[in-house]
Amino acid sequence: MKKVHLWLLLLPGLLFLTIFMIIPIFMTIGSTFYHEGEFTVDGYVKLLSDPYMLKILGTTLQVSFVTTLVCILLGFPTAYYISKTKARTKGILLMLALFPLLTSAIVRSFSWMVILGKNGLVNQFLLGIGLIDDPLKILYTPTAMMIGMIHLFLPLMIISLVGVMENIDGDLLQASESLGASRWKGFMSIIVPLCVPGLIVGSILVFVGSLTAYTTPQLLGGKQRVIATFLYQNAMTLNDWYMASVIATVMIVITFIIIGLMNRLARKLNPKG
Amino acid sequence: MELLSLNDISVAYEKNLILKNFNLHIEKGELISLLGPSGCGKTTTLRLIAGFLEAKDGRFMFEGKDYTRVPVNKRNFGFVFQSYALFPHMTVFDNVAYGLRLRKVSKDDIAKRVTDMLKVVSLEGFEKRFPGELSGGQRQRVAIARALVIQPDLLLFDEPLSNLDANLRVNMRVEIRRIQKELGITTVYVSHDQEECFSISDKVAIMNQGVIEQLDAPAVIYKYPTTEFVARFIGFHNFIDVNGLKVNGEQVTADCPQGLKLSLVHRSGHPIVEQMKAAIRPDDLLIALQSELSNGLGGLTAAELETGWNVVAGRVKVSTFLGRSYQYEVETALGTFTVNREMEAPFETNAAVQLILPKEKVVLVRTKV
Ligand SMILES: Nc1ncnc2c1ncn2[C@@H]1O[C@H](COP(=O)(O)OP(=O)(O)OP(=O)(O)O)[C@@H](O)[C@H]1O
Ligand SMILES: [Mg+2]
Repeated sequence: MKKVHLWLLLLPGLLFLTIFMIIPIFMTIGSTFYHEGEFTVDGYVKLLSDPYMLKILGTTLQVSFVTTLVCILLGFPTAYYISKTKARTKGILLMLALFPLLTSAIVRSFSWMVILGKNGLVNQFLLGIGLIDDPLKILYTPTAMMIGMIHLFLPLMIISLVGVMENIDGDLLQASESLGASRWKGFMSIIVPLCVPGLIVGSILVFVGSLTAYTTPQLLGGKQRVIATFLYQNAMTLNDWYMASVIATVMIVITFIIIGLMNRLARKLNPKG
Repeated sequence: MELLSLNDISVAYEKNLILKNFNLHIEKGELISLLGPSGCGKTTTLRLIAGFLEAKDGRFMFEGKDYTRVPVNKRNFGFVFQSYALFPHMTVFDNVAYGLRLRKVSKDDIAKRVTDMLKVVSLEGFEKRFPGELSGGQRQRVAIARALVIQPDLLLFDEPLSNLDANLRVNMRVEIRRIQKELGITTVYVSHDQEECFSISDKVAIMNQGVIEQLDAPAVIYKYPTTEFVARFIGFHNFIDVNGLKVNGEQVTADCPQGLKLSLVHRSGHPIVEQMKAAIRPDDLLIALQSELSNGLGGLTAAELETGWNVVAGRVKVSTFLGRSYQYEVETALGTFTVNREMEAPFETNAAVQLILPKEKVVLVRTKV
């Protein structure tokens, strides 16, 4: 009886996901193997042998990877600091950390264009102090995309990490110190491994988010394409829905591979995570 | 030989001064307990000794060296936390080996010492388990093993048994005492369980609001508390103001309110000062009907009782069955007294009774530290 009730609770969400997500995804994947009336894998062959496409794939992975790494490096100390503050300060700091998520991606990207552009703040500053003679080209490069996405996704990393860090018993670090560990050693051998679950969740969110982001790379990347913008171009500009589906399928597969790898890494780093 | 001393130490959390001019001296090899009500500063004292907290003032000497500013990881003290604080991502073996690895002990030595230590705490065969897969008592023993294996110069326990059930608590405290004696490690033990402290300690320090009110062997504290706070804390429920103390060797007489005259034997040797009270445990106070006084009671002759020495008249207000005895709340001109008596038929409510304070059982305590 109880079981049936629980199933009923699940039903609306399940129904929604099935109709609007699972079925379309399978239809998309299915359509990639069926082109002009017959079974084919031509789309994949064509895509994966296309140097342009491979370059885009490479750039996308590189941007996502660097974005994730920088988010970890920036997010970890911040999250640790936030997790150690008192409840009220914590609320305020978390609110501030989440702020980028609350502004529209378009507004945010335009701001970055102002900052990173040829006559932007960064170049004006560097020219002003005489560090460079000609303006740097930052906007419309992978670097600009990374900066925009780090800004966008850092909050996800911070919340994931604060979540696990809050639950780490404060006595653990003191226990390690009393056993002879320096602060740093204790931090690395106790706190960091215990943060692995949060690190993995945060990394998956950031990586997959970067991999599939559209607005930020579109506005900050200029002619530089990533998979998401390439997909859009195929579908909307070239009107090649078949290739768009193939690209979408490749993206889905990459996403699952990444999640799988991350989880394996997590088990290795923290067997009891 | 004195191993450790806290000299005029002050500790504050932000602006709150918790310990003020705090002094404590500990001999090598002894187990000393800090006992006191919640919030009196036991954990604070222990954390100060461990080095987790810094003294604002005063000096902490250890083996004749100034340890006041020595960081935690250079002190070589073992700390057993109330929460155990086992590393959840490490096996039992790795938890215990943690301190040895930091000391660059060779692999073979680590294996040997960890195995030996797990034997001491009866946890052979648990090496590969994670803390999450152990019972409370087992975790506790891992925590002890982890603190002991580094051969600490001092062992600190913060209420290590408070999360265990009553039976296990008794077994574990016997264990702790056995290991401590076997290895001869000087130990500071914090608890607010009186029986626990009394049963395992060489000395007990009774703390109140950041001050040690009495530091003595358990039996001494039990029989001869020095202050009213200590007496109350260890179960003296009955107090009487005393004036006009006349001391003649161990024989002391006093005048009390309502014309009560008190005669007692002062054996503790604690100094007699201006402001004191007489104290007696419910178990030691006698309760009787008027008719039972004719043979003398509590070291007093019938004649003495007749003339009012050590006798207070009252009425039973509440009687409670305690199993082996009855507990009575008796209302008198001097206030309400609590008294226990083993007897078949309890006194009835409102029965007129006499309370007798046996000479040997009344102690004098200071009202101030
Ligand atoms: N981190 C802290 N910040 C501010 N005040 C604290 C802090 N820790 C303890 N205190 C205060 O210091 C006083 C002593 O606390 P302590 O933890 O030493 O008490 P305790 O004797 O160990 O009590 P218990 O038996 O409840 O563990 C208490 O009044 C407590 O409120
Ligand atoms: Mg405490």
